[in-house]
Amino acid sequence: MSNISKKRVAITGMGVISSLGDSSASLHSALCRGLTGAYEFDELNGFEGRGSGRITAFQAEAYLKGRNLRPLDRTGQLVVATAKLALADSGWTAERLAEHTAGLVLGTMFGSVHTIAKFDRHALEQGPACASPMDFANTVINAAAGQTAIWHNLRGINSTIASGSASGLAALGYAADLIRSGDQTAVLAGGADEFCFESFCGFERGGMLQTSEAFPVPFHEARTGFAVGEAAGLLMLEEWESAMARGARILAEVRGHGSAFDASAGEDRAQAARSIARAMTLALSDAGLSWHEVDCISASANGSVHADRDEAVAIGSLLNGRGPDLAVTAIKSMTGEILGAAGALQAIDMVESLRSGMLPAIRGLEQNDPCLPELNFCRQPRRIDGSCGLINSVGLDGNAGSLLISMSN
Amino acid sequence: MSAGPKIVVTGIGMVTSIGTGREAFWNALLAGRCGFGPVRSFDTSRFGVHLGAEIHDFRPEDYVRKLDARAIGRSSQLAIAAARLALTDAGLNAEDIDTERAGVCAGTTSGEPHFIERFDDHYVQGELKKVGREFITRYPCHVVPCHVAMELGFSGETMMIPTACAAGNYAIAHAADLLRSGKASIMLAGGADSFSRITYTGFARLGAIAPDVCRPFDRNRKGMVPGEGAAMLLLELKENAMARGARIYCEVAGYGLSCDAHHMTAAHPQGEGAARAILRALEQSGLAPEDVDYISAHGTGTATNDRLETIAVKKTFGRQAYKVPISSIKSMLGHTMGAASAIEATVCAMAITEGRIPPTVNWNEQDPECDLDYVPNVARNHQVDIAMNNAYAFGGNNSSLIFVASAA
Amino acid sequence: MDVDVIRTKVKECIQKVTGIDAATISDSAAYVEDLDLDSLSILEISVSVEESFKFHATDEELSSVRNVEDTVALVMRRACVEVA
Repeated sequence: MSNISKKRVAITGMGVISSLGDSSASLHSALCRGLTGAYEFDELNGFEGRGSGRITAFQAEAYLKGRNLRPLDRTGQLVVATAKLALADSGWTAERLAEHTAGLVLGTMFGSVHTIAKFDRHALEQGPACASPMDFANTVINAAAGQTAIWHNLRGINSTIASGSASGLAALGYAADLIRSGDQTAVLAGGADEFCFESFCGFERGGMLQTSEAFPVPFHEARTGFAVGEAAGLLMLEEWESAMARGARILAEVRGHGSAFDASAGEDRAQAARSIARAMTLALSDAGLSWHEVDCISASANGSVHADRDEAVAIGSLLNGRGPDLAVTAIKSMTGEILGAAGALQAIDMVESLRSGMLPAIRGLEQNDPCLPELNFCRQPRRIDGSCGLINSVGLDGNAGSLLISMSN
Repeated sequence: MSAGPKIVVTGIGMVTSIGTGREAFWNALLAGRCGFGPVRSFDTSRFGVHLGAEIHDFRPEDYVRKLDARAIGRSSQLAIAAARLALTDAGLNAEDIDTERAGVCAGTTSGEPHFIERFDDHYVQGELKKVGREFITRYPCHVVPCHVAMELGFSGETMMIPTACAAGNYAIAHAADLLRSGKASIMLAGGADSFSRITYTGFARLGAIAPDVCRPFDRNRKGMVPGEGAAMLLLELKENAMARGARIYCEVAGYGLSCDAHHMTAAHPQGEGAARAILRALEQSGLAPEDVDYISAHGTGTATNDRLETIAVKKTFGRQAYKVPISSIKSMLGHTMGAASAIEATVCAMAITEGRIPPTVNWNEQDPECDLDYVPNVARNHQVDIAMNNAYAFGGNNSSLIFVASAA
Repeated sequence: MDVDVIRTKVKECIQKVTGIDAATISDSAAYVEDLDLDSLSILEISVSVEESFKFHATDEELSSVRNVEDTVALVMRRACVEVA
């Protein structure tokens, strides 16, 4: 391990737009009450939604008053609005942003495949001379990050990370490392993916969505696949001393992260599980923590037949008998699979869980799959007495990431 | 960042419209060969422009061994080829590598556009049931580095940084950071993009595509020429490279990344963000402008980019701007999008080891606003100990990377 | 087609792209100086106008459009032949 001295990473604010609320408190409250997101989408071209869809209540105008929204597509709107919430929550006013540089690292799986497709189809049908210049600007996968920087004057690092559904957590790790190395002082980090027909259709044609009527339950014996939703989540990460110096309210700390790749592409399930285990081990090592110091786990599990099992096997393989102690939750039992936003929302809820001492349950898990190792799955919201949580984010294509958050001073 | 272990480039591989592999590519560059021609991969009869820089002679089956070459997208094929070439160039076999500490970091603008184009064709024809499983497993852009990792058996950190036309620099910067912090021992870093009708349509709509050739910095320049390609650099810790007796091209000395926060498709009118990236890269590398021997420009050939890039160089280099040669290989390759700055990074590596710099070709008449030494038309012998690689992207993403000759 | 009708439709296109209330746009408004628009918005307005009036301008014609009057003149020149 390098001997470059590392700075500490404080979380000083959070912003979220989700089907369960647009603040970290309302999201956490909804998760603890076992609510599922209100997702709907009408134009599915004959395909059945079954729990997948858009946040029906999202209105960009409610967050972004008085400015022309036309240059933004839906992904852009979600991220710009969420950034506004996170900046407000962390005390980064427009004046502060004018004087100091803050950056943005956004994880996303698709950027906006809908905008890409809409641009392409319009040009196909009407001719290339009718293509929309404004839509073209949003066809690049880093468009939302660029739009958000323009909107909020974010002149520091501006990067977009794509690691499939593990993108949000990867973005958090990437940003945290830039702060630890001293390269950046303040970075908004997290992830977003909108719901659109194109990606939904892709998952449906890929046989990955649940086939039952009930909302998917991770780790459940009868699980058949996931439901896809949408969200955006951003956390303001700041260098610790700098945050203290400006009198920021510090919510939590990012302690470390790790990632690994399953080169078998899911062909070898044992290797897939080992990849996830390695990501967790690397995260702990990066944080300088041991399993005894971890109080709960936020699993990536989303109802997928194989991936849920791989993760459970990975966790089980590392706990060395600590299985009964360590509470495991899976918030995708309520948010659905939110792709690039997943790691961010898991991190946001982990902060709220550690602060409140209450971990949400895995909604609907009356009985877990007997083929899974015996883990301490939360079937009811659980009181947790501790200060450190581990978050997993496992992608569909072999990316596995883990991140540790604590309440330490 | 100049503290900490040194990171070196020990292998480079690239697939371009003027040559595949280091030797063919470098010779073509020095000879001023251009890869432009009428677009063949789709019908441009409804467009007002028809020029592209496509790769016509690429055989994926020569490089893709583990995966099914025909099942994966073209960007993945190009990336795998570049990766294998880089590994071979570095004198490494995949079997000799600690694969848990070997990762892949790539950049792109479009990822695998052919899959969404095919999806749209089905959509428009009302044949959505023809969309197969391949769309979700082969389209999302992160699968490009994943395919490289699968092909080589690497299981370290695998990431896509899709920061469009600056992506290669971002990927190399991140890979260097991972190595420096001890999270990896070997990283393949670079970028890939394949010729896309969506990209072509967009740039044509913006009036940004040149009708005849790409002539960066020339008074009569009329725009860029979309292209395709891939490049990968093999990066490792210097101490490891020396221990295994590897040939070292150069060190990755430092980088600067900034955001204009100004406009989605046009750079800041005073080159402010680009200047900040240059200064940050110099600061991180512990260097001053007069130390730089060569700049590989972004140089797309559009009226605006070339003018603003010149402003940024003058702003940061002062009078020194007139003494440092700065050339754009987009004059020969066109704009290879996410691969561009990765390909340009390999050029910096070769310039340092070979002591020669490629020209900006098709240059005929000086633009009073672009009056620097752009190495017009003819390659030049020039000792390069320190090279800077600049790249700018939609969304106001600016990047500067600095490579230095490795002291023994 | 009457020039006032053309002007009204052009202003509607501007409103659709920029959100600026069409009623507040003067007949001689300059896109950059008066309406504070960037190059992308101006091009988008032109594309919207082309679609609205069903004609195609050349890149040269589009790049010389600076204000509402220029756009109206472009429509008169290119679209009236087809629309009238």
